[in-house]
Amino acid sequence: MVRFVARRLAASLVTLILASIVVFAMVRAVPGDIVEQMLGQLGGTEGEATLRRFFGLDQPIYLQYLAWLGGAVQGDLGVSWRLGRPVAGLVTSAFLVSFQLSLLVLVISAVIGVPVGLIVGRRSGGALDSIVQSFNVVALATPVFWIGLMLLFGVSEVFSWSPPTIYVSPFRSVADNLTILLLPILSLAFLQIAAYAQFVRQHVIEALGQEYVRAARARGVPMRRLLMTHVLRNILVPLSTFMGLIFIQILGGVVVIESIFGLPGLGRLLVNALNARDFPVVQGALLAVLVAAITVNLIVDLFYRAIDPRLRT
Amino acid sequence: MLEFRRRTLLQSAAVAPLAGLLGSSLFPQRAMADDSVLYGELDPQAQRGGSLTVGSLIEPPSMDIYHQAGEAVNFIAVLMYQTLVYADPSGTAHPLLAESWEISPDATTYTFNLRQGVTFHTGEPFEAEDVKYSLDYQRNPENGTIGARDFADIAQVDVLDTHVVRVTLQGPNSAFLITLAHRNASPIPRGWYDRPNARALLNSTSVGTGPFRLAEFQPNSYIRMERNPDYWQPGLPHLDEIIVNFIPNSAGMLVAVRNGRVDMAVLVRPQDALQLEGEEGLTVQRSISLNQKSLDLDCTYGPLTDERVRQAIALLIDRDAVMQAGIAGYGQVLGTMVPGMQDRWGVPLDQLPNQTVDVDLARTLLTEAGHADGFDIDLTTIIGYEWMEPAALALVEQLAAGGIRANINRVDLGTWLSNFRSRQMGFTLNDWGTPPDPNILFYRHFHKQPEGADFRNWNDDIASDLLDRGRAALTFEERRALYDAFQLRLAESVPTVMMFGADHLIVVSNRVKNHRMHPIGWHFGLVKTWLEA
Repeated sequence: MVRFVARRLAASLVTLILASIVVFAMVRAVPGDIVEQMLGQLGGTEGEATLRRFFGLDQPIYLQYLAWLGGAVQGDLGVSWRLGRPVAGLVTSAFLVSFQLSLLVLVISAVIGVPVGLIVGRRSGGALDSIVQSFNVVALATPVFWIGLMLLFGVSEVFSWSPPTIYVSPFRSVADNLTILLLPILSLAFLQIAAYAQFVRQHVIEALGQEYVRAARARGVPMRRLLMTHVLRNILVPLSTFMGLIFIQILGGVVVIESIFGLPGLGRLLVNALNARDFPVVQGALLAVLVAAITVNLIVDLFYRAIDPRLRT
Repeated sequence: MLEFRRRTLLQSAAVAPLAGLLGSSLFPQRAMADDSVLYGELDPQAQRGGSLTVGSLIEPPSMDIYHQAGEAVNFIAVLMYQTLVYADPSGTAHPLLAESWEISPDATTYTFNLRQGVTFHTGEPFEAEDVKYSLDYQRNPENGTIGARDFADIAQVDVLDTHVVRVTLQGPNSAFLITLAHRNASPIPRGWYDRPNARALLNSTSVGTGPFRLAEFQPNSYIRMERNPDYWQPGLPHLDEIIVNFIPNSAGMLVAVRNGRVDMAVLVRPQDALQLEGEEGLTVQRSISLNQKSLDLDCTYGPLTDERVRQAIALLIDRDAVMQAGIAGYGQVLGTMVPGMQDRWGVPLDQLPNQTVDVDLARTLLTEAGHADGFDIDLTTIIGYEWMEPAALALVEQLAAGGIRANINRVDLGTWLSNFRSRQMGFTLNDWGTPPDPNILFYRHFHKQPEGADFRNWNDDIASDLLDRGRAALTFEERRALYDAFQLRLAESVPTVMMFGADHLIVVSNRVKNHRMHPIGWHFGLVKTWLEA
């Protein structure tokens, strides 16, 4: 197990370095830089040169990259060019907002979606299945931003209420935090509940057709026990992979929702930093997304091995 | 309820004849402080206290006022940082941190007597040495400041006494006082930028003398300003606190306003104003601005090199129709002057060439220029400027009447700015504003290089000469005549088509009292705004 983790971590490091080169090159390829953003239509050439020197933009790109990498491996992601604050702090606080939202969506969707999938999978073709299938089609086809906007306007119209516009961390007040996150969670959860339900339903239908399930049923094992012990256990492996993928997908999807509901998450940090050409923050934020994706994949793999003994050999 | 502040409109109308009666003097050569004119009118019923939340779609990238340009900084910074001079809505200069000033007869020496008893937010006293440090730092091109060019004509700054400072210019500059009214001329404590981490510190603390001081800046979320307890104007400000809440999209803003999450918001989409008009508990205020939404023409770009082609383009554009498409008519059609300065400085539209649609003449001009079959051209718009898309669609249709086939090219602001600054703007929509002075409005944009930036590669000797003379002129009449001539040249040669200016649209909760928007769009008015308990 230790060797497996070490091997995976080494591979992840290579992925990270390669990805950071790509990210660095892409970010620098965007026209304009922070100096142009700062001076707008103002400023003079001498001043621009001074500012470029200040930010190290006068150096060749590979040297800028190496300087950044040198800091990053020591845990120093640099300082935001626009705010003068450490990137690590900015990225961490934004990441926590996105992470909390994504995690809540992941869990809530699973808690609702998996049982729904089990129930309708068991009675596929029934009336309930048709209703759930219709919901799934609509939820899977509807863009998240549209659901977010409709919820925002709909709730405002019906209840004359909208979420507070200034974010409160759960460490300060759980109630206030959840009040703010309620509509964003709902906006993202529609799609994910449908995805879970669809995924589980499909696997239940397949499992119920398998020899071992049919044999168990013939032995008189009650359906409820059959579902919980045989079927659910067997879909745990693909479900864990699925959850990992969903989590990364949600983390990516929160960008739009953060913008609609004004949440100070990673997406908004990234967009604002990119608009200001605040490269250290852009790189730091993308690095955080990459690390999150790699970590989730690693956790899924470890989980996979834990529940499927065949993979341990 | 829609409230159109006629007063703001009329104020500028009243200035022109007044200036004429006073005769000659461009600016008062001696000026004494009259605090009642600062930041608008005082409401005798004003109550003290309360926290006001302002919704804002834009967020300042940083609050380093000497190095960070942009409206998002300007509109907040004026509450924390003050200048020697305050420019009122009509463009008249009044002493603010200066108590009075005297100008030498040749208009090259300005002696400012400073207010006494004023302290910076840091607790240090405000003195002449601070003014000298601030202007010297700002004008030194090595420092990479946003005002380096604005103050390039300062020859030297001398401290005559603890509260007396003299600024000597290299030559007369009739716009100097209004230039000093920009927030980038705000005095800060001497030696500020010598401190380690000085720029970053400005995002957590303010170092001005203004009525509010920075309490908190949470990027991507909000800025909180609190009352400056040591502020020098007695009884002001009325509010205890102002929170500027950054809400990144109009839909979120609309809902937040309706549900009382914010007390006030600047609206950028006319449909939002339409939706909120008549809403109980809210008032949509509409007032005139110094904004212009223009179509810029790079005079070295393909067919635009030919003046006849540029004239033809101007003759094909129905400005009112473009304004209707872009901002649903919530603005003013322009000739060659921004709305808030039209009465005082603008040539009447019916006296300017190339202002009304004339497709036949446009086609004749295009034929003469060798484009009888028209031509293809990219029309650039900036992503995120919502008025540009519908306006561009209207323009495409109008240009097609003359055979010009325009293709809309959408770019992000960073790319656009990069092209603009490197004078490769092509054929583009633009959205900009100005402090209320014609020299500031025109000089940098339209004077040939190297004195001006000449973003549109116009390189026009006649216009540049008029701008030089306008800058040096000492009387209002002389200036007015020169800028009239300049505007005629601008309309004749068409390096830009100033299509229309959007009015300021602000929605306020009815508990917000005595709010007035300055035409420049910065929140000066909040100093005298109060909240009903």
